[in-house]
Amino acid sequence: MTTSAAVGATPVMDRLISRTVRKHQPLSVHFDLTYRCNERCVHCYLDHDDHGELSTAECLAVLEELAQAGTLFLTFSGGEIFLRPDLYEILSEARRLHFDISLKTNALLVTPERAKRLREFGVRRVQISVYSDIPEVHDAITKVPGSLQRTLAAIPLLLEQGLQVKLACPLMRENLLAYRGVMALAEKIGVPYVLDLTITPMLDGNEGPLAHRIPVSSLLPVMQDSKLNACATRPTAEAPLAMKEYPATLGSAVSSGIESEAYEDLPCSAGHNSCYISPYGDVFPCVQLPQAAGNLRRKRFNEIWHHAPQLERLRGVRESQLPVCSRCEIRNYCERCPGLALMEGGDLLGAYERACELAEQKARLAGVTEPISALHKQQAANSAPATIANDFASVIAASGSN
Amino acid sequence: MTNKPSIFWQKNPALAWREIDDATVIISPTDSVMHELNDTGSFLWKNIDGRRSAAELAGLLAESYEVAPDVALTDTQALLDEMSTRKLVVPIPATGGDLR
Repeated sequence: MTTSAAVGATPVMDRLISRTVRKHQPLSVHFDLTYRCNERCVHCYLDHDDHGELSTAECLAVLEELAQAGTLFLTFSGGEIFLRPDLYEILSEARRLHFDISLKTNALLVTPERAKRLREFGVRRVQISVYSDIPEVHDAITKVPGSLQRTLAAIPLLLEQGLQVKLACPLMRENLLAYRGVMALAEKIGVPYVLDLTITPMLDGNEGPLAHRIPVSSLLPVMQDSKLNACATRPTAEAPLAMKEYPATLGSAVSSGIESEAYEDLPCSAGHNSCYISPYGDVFPCVQLPQAAGNLRRKRFNEIWHHAPQLERLRGVRESQLPVCSRCEIRNYCERCPGLALMEGGDLLGAYERACELAEQKARLAGVTEPISALHKQQAANSAPATIANDFASVIAASGSN
Repeated sequence: MTNKPSIFWQKNPALAWREIDDATVIISPTDSVMHELNDTGSFLWKNIDGRRSAAELAGLLAESYEVAPDVALTDTQALLDEMSTRKLVVPIPATGGDLR
């Protein structure tokens, strides 16, 4: 009557994802409790002000609605969650409602007492941002002197309480050369890690953070690192075994990293069985997809989730029908994100430069001869007639001068 | 004469869980193990409330699934044993008789 397996890419998880995608049940929700933060990371996509955060009562009401909607995996993040004075009250309610609770934090405010409370409130996993094992590098990114030391001091406190800890390291210009150090640090502590190449514009569209993004040409050391297996193709229906082995060490610090056949022709889980809630009650398909579907101060979650036109449109998108990407020969190397397609290319359904460049680089490293994305093929084709016309004009001009 | 049950069963309060379709998915935060109950397991899980004994749960199962009471009791006891081994349910002393 029971089947058991570790949480992760397992048949139990596959069935769970398959059922919730089919039913549009919000299995997984990322809930930012605040955008306020005690660090000032150079690449951060959030402002750090309070524009009217949900009150304690409003947060608890949201949790009740999520439980009724069938959410199981609940991630509290920010900003820095420990800046919410009512964090314990919120966690207590989350536990009462039987969520599987994860936290994302910089851990600066974790104390032995707080680590113990997290365990008591049933928190299972804590993801901590670590940018380098070198204090000067980490602290220059967070702009808080001593922050690496304080963050690292918190990890044993959490582990002692039996909490799962994972290190997340967004890679940017400032810490590219330190990635091996983060890997070694995680291995020394005995915790998993994820290196994330995603640096996004701010939620208001400000492209300031993109100045910290590493050019694809400079990513070769990371992409060639055999430990990271960055050049593996994406899982496909034809290669189910590869799916199970898909590496979690280079990926997204935002998503669960869990791949499933149930997502086969879907761009991702956003709006199908997962969503994001801002500290102000706005419901988005994903933290990286800034199209608000509604606000929980004005509408019930279920009403937004099941009837918002933005979500209904998103649910109709299939990768096999994307105008450009569906005919891309190297799509199995691509990590296209609909939100980044919207933010960077202006089209939820479109291709965007960064994904194409990364896919081409991965394909090249994997041995594909002269890989070229569908977008770049299209751009080349569009520019070709102009070139021929120019050449023709040159010939005419040259003939005339003779 | 009816024997009063000595043990009631309750869900382990530390667990995360949701009913999804006919199945129930349970996650233990201490070991990150995910458990999946089928429809009859889910039926029992729904009714495990700290106020019912194995016999009472079996009675509900027999009624809903139209199975013989002795078969229902055997199945219920087996599932409770399995869930108890996996620390999904915990026995508590029965403080009263039939609370239904």
